[in-house]
Order: sequence, then structure tokens, then C-alpha cells
Amino acid sequence: MRFALEFEQVTKEYRSFASKRRLRALDDFSLTVEAGEIFGFLGPNGAGKSTAIHLAMGFMRPTRGAGRMLGDRFGHPATRRRVGFLAESVALYHRRAERLVRFYGALNGMGGTHLANRAREVLEIVGLQDDANRNAGKFSRGMLQRVGLAQAMVNDPELLILDEPTSALDPLARVMVRELLLGARNAGKTIFLSSHLLSEVELVCDRVAVLHRGRLARLGRTADLLKVGEQTEIVARAIAAKHFDGAVARDGIVSFSVPAHMQRAALEKVWNLGGEVVSVNPLRRSLEDIFLEVTADPQSPSSGVVR
Amino acid sequence: MKPVLLIAINFAREQRWPILTLLLWVLLLAVLGLVTDIHRQREDLLFVFKQDAIYVLAFSIFFGGSAIYNERRSRRILGVLSKAVGRQQYLSGLVLGVTLACAVYCFILGLTGSWTLGETGFPILHIWFLMVCLVAACMLAGTVALMFSTFLNPFFAAGATAMVLGLPALAGSIFGPQWGYVIPVWELGATVVNSSFGSPGTASWFPVVLAGAETLAFWLLSARIFARVDIAVAVE
Repeated sequence: MRFALEFEQVTKEYRSFASKRRLRALDDFSLTVEAGEIFGFLGPNGAGKSTAIHLAMGFMRPTRGAGRMLGDRFGHPATRRRVGFLAESVALYHRRAERLVRFYGALNGMGGTHLANRAREVLEIVGLQDDANRNAGKFSRGMLQRVGLAQAMVNDPELLILDEPTSALDPLARVMVRELLLGARNAGKTIFLSSHLLSEVELVCDRVAVLHRGRLARLGRTADLLKVGEQTEIVARAIAAKHFDGAVARDGIVSFSVPAHMQRAALEKVWNLGGEVVSVNPLRRSLEDIFLEVTADPQSPSSGVVR
Repeated sequence: MKPVLLIAINFAREQRWPILTLLLWVLLLAVLGLVTDIHRQREDLLFVFKQDAIYVLAFSIFFGGSAIYNERRSRRILGVLSKAVGRQQYLSGLVLGVTLACAVYCFILGLTGSWTLGETGFPILHIWFLMVCLVAACMLAGTVALMFSTFLNPFFAAGATAMVLGLPALAGSIFGPQWGYVIPVWELGATVVNSSFGSPGTASWFPVVLAGAETLAFWLLSARIFARVDIAVAVE
């Protein structure tokens, strides 16, 4: 198995110069991201998501542990030629959008007509072809985020690391980003996506990790995490809720869940009572449920201030 | 080398307003040359010329001392260092950028100085030698400031730089002139300040070469320190 990103027991502590206090942002954190997948990286504010990303990019050094990106140790400049990165708060120089994208492409060793064409191409992908000659300093937050995406993609990277790429985007632009991510995965790219937009993550990510207080709280395939045992949810109408345990009635619609092996019996009971079945689906949780479960759990990993 | 040049040009471009403001002073020199009796006012012209020259030295410390801080605070540094750019290359780009910004200023000062002071009998070749001294001094002063700015905020970085550059001058005045060459920024500045119509000064290349070598040494030291700095941490 080839990994695009590997964290091996990484601990990162921030030390305050004045008070000598230490804040553990990551605590013995291990994670592997497989090549060719879209990986969702979730967690509440201060969980350590951005710290993990900054360590991978080489912006900071771990206190303990190590990691590899595309097979090379974290922070190896030549490896970053194959990586695209979008920071949480997009900060760009005040230049024309096309010039800006070309500047970042040139830093990755690109040049000539190839770079010029690619810059125009990525600006078109993010829907900024008509604003390519406008100064990015006058852009809205959403437009800046799009330029940020364009600069991250200009070198056609094998690995895209995106920290909150859709936080400032309108719904249309979010759909565009979603399609862009799925297209990139189909082209064999790996995407490491940190986001608070759980519905977006649920839609596009193959695997998900939830980070809480610097430690890994959940990890798995999105579909597996969302599945709730072998339960089926049945929605019916024209029956009374009292006939089924735990049934909830709202606007004449009754919904309840039963173990999968009792599904047939429950459906027959609905029909025998003169009811009409509206839908039958495997019971699923949302990522939001998992997220809330992890962050509310007093037994979940804790670190925080250690001294 | 390409990323270094890109970062340098980008840095100089980002400093265009301070540079343009400085250039206004240089234009003052040119205007003085136009509107005054150039031969009668030549001492005043030389004074303004020296004043303009010293300004750029102060600005090189300002440029060097605030470069990393500004980039970290704005988080633009993340965009640059997320590309195939090593931290040594990044620092080289900043050193080159500071030098480039100061060199542009010195070139314009040299042009106006050649025109105005040259007309009044000051040796034009010596004006350009003084400009080379000034660029060398700016390069070294900017690099020392940049080194301090890798771990200090701009205010303390500028103070520490002034101390490091000033101590050899102080030692030189107490223990003998050779101490002034330990870090030759002061010596190079003095070459400009002490020149006059009566004695323009001798063209000694030793402090210029020494400044070049020390720039390299301070750049290496900066790179060692900067390699250990967490650049994504909020700047205090």
C-alpha cells in the first residue's frame, strides 16, 4: 500500500516563551492517508487539525515523532513540488489574479507558455476567468479562496492538502469544489480535506478521521462510520405510532427503526394495519452525530495544557 | 536560483511605497540642483546627498527587521513556503530583495548625485564608489536585521541590529580604528559621510569585500536559526 501521508506518533507542543507553559496540540498522533483517496479530517476548533497540516507541510517541527509526505520526510522542499496547499485563511499578495497564480507556479519551477496556459486553465476551473486581470487585493473572501484553490492546483499536484477550502464559498461554488475534488480523485490524486462542513465531507470523502484534543478519536471509511449496526428505518403513513416501539409521528407520517432481521415482519404489520409504506432504508447516522458524540464524550482523548 | 529571484523581486515590489517615498528625497536633491546656483550651494547639495545616503541605511534595517514578521503576520509566508522553496532560499530571496530595494534607491541617488555634485567638481567616479559602499552597507545591515527578525519582533530586531552595528564603531573610537572593521557598516557609512569637496576620500575596497563576506556569514547564521522556527505560530 502506498501512502500519500503518514504521521507516526507525532506529538507537538507549543511552548510559551514567557510563562514556560506548554500546550499539547497533537498527542501521539498516528494516521495514514492512502494514495488516491479523499480523506476528511474533522475536529472542533483547537483539536489540532491545522497543526497536523502545518507539520506535514514543514511549517513547523514535531516535538516528538515523525512523518512522511509522498514518501519523503515532512518539510522536504522538493516534495512540495508535487503538493498543492490551501491555507485556512487565504493570504495573497495584491497582484492581478493571473500574475499571482503564475508567481506561485513559478516558485514550483514551472515556466513559459506551459505555466501561462495552466494559470488560465485553473482560473477557469475555479470560475475566475473573467477576473483574471483584476487585482486580488480587491477580491471578496470567496474569490480569494478560489484564487487560493487555483494556486494550489497550478502545478497539477499528486496530493492536495486543503484546510477549510469552502468556508467562504457560496453554495454554487461549493458544488464546483465538490466536483473538482471528485474529478481530482478520479484522476488518481489524493486529497486531504480539513473542513467543518460535515455535509460536504460526508458527500465526497472516502475515509474520515475525527481529531479531538490532539488525539485521533474516530477513523474509518465514511460509509462504515455512518452505518448504525444492522438497523432499518421504516417510514409509513395511515397508521398509529402506538403499534411500534419507539415510533415517532409527525404530520401523519410515522417513522421507526427495527433490526434488519425483523424488517419483513414490521412491513407486514404495517400493511395488515391498513398502512402504506413510504420508505425503507438502512439506518444511518450523519457525520454531525459522530462529531457531536466525540466532542461530548468525557472519555474521549484529552490533552490540553499539560504544564 | 529562480525562486530566490522571484522572492527578491516580489519583496522589492512589496516595498515600492517606502522606496518611492525615499526617492522623493532624492528628487529634492535634483530639484535643488535645478533651482539654485549650483556652484554657490554645492556644500548644501553635498549635505542633502549625505543625508539621503544615510536614510537608506536606516531603511535597510527597517526592511530586514520587518520582512519575516510582516510575512508571518499576514500568513503570506505559508503560500510561498508551501511551494518547492527551502527556507534558505526564502532567506536568500529576502536578503536579495532588501539589497535590490536599496540598490534601486542608491542607483537613483548616484544618478542625481553625478548630475548635481558632478557639475560642481565632485569626482563622478567617486560618487559611484560611495554608492557601492552604501549598497554593501545596506546589504550587511539588512542581513543582520533579518537574522534578528527570525526570532525577535521588528522593534527588538531593529534595536539589536543597531547595537551590533554600533558596537564596533564604539570600540573603534576607544581602542583604535581597526575595531570599526569588525562589522564594517559604520565604516562604510563614514566613508560617505566624511567625503567632502576638499577630500572626497580614498577608494578602499577592503570594507566592501568584508561586508560581502560578513553578509554571507550572517545569512548562514540566519538560515540555521530560521530552520528551527515554527513559522505557522502566531507572531507575538
